[in-house]
Amino acid sequence: MKKKKLEKNWLEWAVFVIGLVLVIGALGYLAYDGATLGDAPPRLEVRTGTPEQHPHNYLVPVTVINHGDQTAEGVQIEVILEQGGEEKERSEFSIAFVPRGSTREGWVAFQTDPRAADQVKARVLGYEKP
Amino acid sequence: MQRPINKSLQEYARGIAGGLLFSLPLLYTMEVWWAGFTSHPWRLLLYVVATYILLIGYNYFGGLRHDTGWADVLIDSVEELGLGMLLSSAMLLVLGRVTFDMPASEFIGKIIIEAMTVAIGVSVGTAQLGGGDGDTGTGGAASASGKTRAGEASKNRIHFMGQVVIALCGAVLFAANVAPTEEVVLIASEISSWNLLGLALISIALGALILFYSDFTGARRFAQTGGVSAVVIGTVITYSIALASSAIILWFFGRFEGMSLIVCLAETVVLGLAATLGASAGRLLLQTE
Repeated sequence: MKKKKLEKNWLEWAVFVIGLVLVIGALGYLAYDGATLGDAPPRLEVRTGTPEQHPHNYLVPVTVINHGDQTAEGVQIEVILEQGGEEKERSEFSIAFVPRGSTREGWVAFQTDPRAADQVKARVLGYEKP
Repeated sequence: MQRPINKSLQEYARGIAGGLLFSLPLLYTMEVWWAGFTSHPWRLLLYVVATYILLIGYNYFGGLRHDTGWADVLIDSVEELGLGMLLSSAMLLVLGRVTFDMPASEFIGKIIIEAMTVAIGVSVGTAQLGGGDGDTGTGGAASASGKTRAGEASKNRIHFMGQVVIALCGAVLFAANVAPTEEVVLIASEISSWNLLGLALISIALGALILFYSDFTGARRFAQTGGVSAVVIGTVITYSIALASSAIILWFFGRFEGMSLIVCLAETVVLGLAATLGASAGRLLLQTE
């Protein structure tokens, strides 16, 4: 291959510059992210929202946030309605993936009115490493 | 001499078509999206660097413009990576796989992991799709570059490294479409040793068949040296490249984690069939002329 002067029109230069910015940006971000990332296991926070009444059941919105450094896979979440210190009804659902820093949302369904319960307790049962 | 804008536009269009054509199965594979956020950033970084090196190799040995220098090869490879990222962002956004309320790590991870295959597709598409007439038939400069290309191609014929790089590109392009799926692990963990041996023999036979006995375009180029030893050496090289690229891709997608050695080997052989097809067919099909 012989040495030649670069012959590029403005379009090719533009595509090259955009490409270069994207590539350097991506590499820079990955390097930064890799350097600052710890290896803490997934830490999941579960929040429940305001119950909604529907014709056949009551739905409670559930938000799951992963504060850890790793992704949680197959997350099992349990929500219990408690009244007078005892369990009235329990419900559960699972989420396929909660990546680090991500928020996932879902609903659990109940037959009894959650608004009548003293307490809506939500917790994560477990999850696997992807 | 600069090329007219519409010529470059045509080339980018080809690249975009090729990029989507070769990587669409991956854009529609959920295991790949997952790998985008479960992979450690260092691993993704390594993936980008490896893809860039592969692109440089392909553009140098197999790409369209053989009359260009190193600077052009480096620049073209960056362009292809950039186009790959743009295309994968656009596709993933349209498919709803990335959204703006995602954390940056998930958003960028998914785009990058998909973009790398798209970029190889862009490179192959630019060099392979359309081709011939539009490039060499217009004016003196273009046909002159056509001649240079032919000259370089005859040089490439004996260029061992060139063959290896192109075989590697073919293997990666084919194997990357199969590697991330759960099916490889499933097959590997259930397969019997005899079936596995059979699969390895079939891969080797297919490699030999495609390279030396079929009427694929350019097949004669490899067979011309003749002799049993040439057949054996060529096949061994092809299968080695296929196994090596399978192992690397499987490792990248985390398919070796927590697996026993024999299952890792089985996975490599199972994926090796796809990689062999890519490596041997790639050597014939991904080359210009």
